[in-house]
Amino acid sequence: MSVVSAAVSALAVEDLSVELPRDGTTIRPVNGVSFTVERGRSLAIVGESGSGKSVTLRAILGLLPKGGRVTSGHVAVEGRTLKESRRNLGRGRDAHLSIVFQDPLAALNPVLTVGAQIAEAPRFVLGLTRRAARDRALELLRLVGIPDPVRRYDAYPHELSGGLRQRVMIAVALSSEPKVLLCDEPTTSLDVTIQAQVLALLSDLRRDEGLALVFVTHDLGVAAEVAEDLAVMYAGRLVETGPVSEVLSSPKHPYTFGLLESAIDVDTPDRIPLAIPGSLPDLSQLPKGCAFHPRCFLATPECTTTDVELRSVGEGRASACLHADQLTIGTRRS
Amino acid sequence: MTSGNVLNVEHVSVSFPAEHGRRLWAVDDVSLGLERGTVLGIVGESGSGKTTVARSITGQEVPSSGEIFLDGVPLDAHRSRSTNRAIQMVFQDPYASLNPRLTVRQVLRELLRIHHLVSRDDEEERCRELMRDVGLPPAALDGKPGQFSGGQRQRIAIARALAVEPQVLIADEPVSALDVSVQATILQLFHDLRERLSLSVIFISHNLAVVRHLSDRVAVMYLGKIVEEGEREQIFSDPRHPYTRSLLASVPRLHAASVAPPRLRGEPPSPVDRPSGCAFHPRCPRAEEICARESPALLEAGDGGHLAACHFRNEPPTDLEDS
Repeated sequence: MSVVSAAVSALAVEDLSVELPRDGTTIRPVNGVSFTVERGRSLAIVGESGSGKSVTLRAILGLLPKGGRVTSGHVAVEGRTLKESRRNLGRGRDAHLSIVFQDPLAALNPVLTVGAQIAEAPRFVLGLTRRAARDRALELLRLVGIPDPVRRYDAYPHELSGGLRQRVMIAVALSSEPKVLLCDEPTTSLDVTIQAQVLALLSDLRRDEGLALVFVTHDLGVAAEVAEDLAVMYAGRLVETGPVSEVLSSPKHPYTFGLLESAIDVDTPDRIPLAIPGSLPDLSQLPKGCAFHPRCFLATPECTTTDVELRSVGEGRASACLHADQLTIGTRRS
Repeated sequence: MTSGNVLNVEHVSVSFPAEHGRRLWAVDDVSLGLERGTVLGIVGESGSGKTTVARSITGQEVPSSGEIFLDGVPLDAHRSRSTNRAIQMVFQDPYASLNPRLTVRQVLRELLRIHHLVSRDDEEERCRELMRDVGLPPAALDGKPGQFSGGQRQRIAIARALAVEPQVLIADEPVSALDVSVQATILQLFHDLRERLSLSVIFISHNLAVVRHLSDRVAVMYLGKIVEEGEREQIFSDPRHPYTRSLLASVPRLHAASVAPPRLRGEPPSPVDRPSGCAFHPRCPRAEEICARESPALLEAGDGGHLAACHFRNEPPTDLEDS
C-alpha cells in the first residue's frame, strides 16, 4: 500500500470489490467496500443473507470460492499491503490474519487431534521446536478457557461440544499470533449461554492481547455486545458506519433504521416489531440507483437514479443515503 | 388435568438407547397443559428436550411413560387420521419441509381431499382463503416452493398446517432460519392467527425475545425437565430459577448495559450423565450442598400458577447471579 495514514491501522481495506460467477452471469457481492480497524478495536459488519459480509472476509483472506476474483481494492495489515496472490491461507498466516468460522466442525480437520492443529502454526510458521509448540498449544487451550487442556489436547474435534469446538477454532486462529482476527458469525450456531461466554472471550482477547477484531454477524445485539464500531452492509455495499452505540440509537440510513424497527427485543415485549417491506434484492438484478430504494420509506425519484456513496453525516459517522438528515430519533414508519 | 385445556401432557418421559447399554432421558417426567386459544412457549437450549416434547405430542416419538390427552381423550401410539389431522407442525426450515415439485395449490388440494374437508367445488375458494389467512396473494397458489423467499415459504408451510383445521399447531423454531428483517412478519402472522382463528399454539424456540413476544404462558426446559413455568410476565419479569435468570442475562442486548453480566459457567452436561440432585447445580451460581443431593420438584413460586424447580425459588437472587 503506497499511502499509509500517520497512525498505521491494524487492518485497512480500501475500495474492495469482488465478482463471482453465478448461473451464467457475474454478480458483484462486494462493491467498493472500505474500512479500517485499529489495534485493540473491534468492528462489526452487520447484514442479512446476501449482503456480502462473509464474502468481504473471504476476499480479505484470499479465500474466495472458485471463479471469484477481486476486481479492485487493496488490503493492508499493519501498513503492509497484501497482494491478492499471497493472500492464501498459508501466507495469510505470516500476514498476521486469522479467521474463525461459524461452523468449527467444518473448519477443523476431523482426523487430527485439536492439539496437533493448534501446534501446527507455532511449529511450522513460527518455527518453534516440537516441545515448545506443544507448550504453546496448551497455553492457547488455557487462554481460550478450555477446561483440562492436557486431556483435551489429544481429543478429536467430534469429541467436543459445539462451544468447546468454537474455542478450539479460536485457539487455532490465535496460534499464528495474528494481529487481526476475522470472525464470521462465530457464535451463530451456539446456544445463548455459550454464545455469551465466547463473546466475552473474544472481548478479553481484544483487550488483553491487543487484537483487532472484525466481526461479521446478522445479529444487531451481538454486534452491540462485541463491537465499538459498526458497519451496516446491504447488497454488497456499506450503507452506514459509525460508533456502534450511536448508530443503534440514531441510525442515519433507512436500512439500519428498518433493521432496528424489525428487531425483536426481549426487553420490550409490547413493542410491535415492524418488518422491512419487500425482500432482499437479487444480486444479479440490483435496482438502479440506491439498491435499497424499492424497500425504502424515504425514497424519492432521485434515489432511483443516483448512485450514492458513503459520506460523512457527523463526527465519525457516514451514511450512503440522500435523505440521512430526515431520520431522527423517534421516527417510526406508520 | 384442567378441563379448559385442548392438550395435556402428563408425566411424559422419552428415552433413547445410548452407548454402553445406558439410556438417554431426552424428556424426563414433563407435564404441560395448553389452554384453548392460547400460545404456550417452550424455551431451552440444544439438548433441553424441547423438540422431543413436540415430537411426542405429534406422535413421532413414543413416550417411555406418561400420557398425552387431546380434548381429554388419551392418545395412543397408533393414531387415527383424524388425530394426526388435529395436531399440526410447522418446522424451522420451510425449504426442507415442502415438496419442491408441487405447486402450492396441489399441496393444499391434496390435503383437503385426503381429509374430506370441502367439496370439490369449494376447493379453490378454500385455497384462496388459506392464502388470505397467511397473507399471500391468490397468485401464490400457482407457485412452487423454490420460487418463494424464506418468509413466504414459511407462510406456505403455515397455510398447509392450517388447511386441515388443526386443534393444535406446534411451531418448532419457525423464525430462526429467516432473515432478521422478515422474522417480524411471521411473528405478526402468528399473532393474527391466534386472534382470528383462536388457534392453540405450542411455540418452541431458543430465542427468548420471540417467545416473550408471542406466548401467553412459558415453560423453560433444561436437560429434559421443565425447570420453570408460568404466565409470560411471571417468567420474564420475576424469574425464580437461576437458569431462567442466566438465560435472560445471556441474550445480547442492542443497548448493552455498561457492566457485562457475569457469565454462566461451563456447558450443559450430556443427558446420559445427568448430574445428581438438581441437574443444573454444577453450573448454578446459587447452588448449595442440598442441590447436589436432592432433585427439586416443580413447585409453586410466588403468584398463582408460577412454578419453579429450585430449592431457593422463594428467595431473592444472590449477588453472584446474572439478574
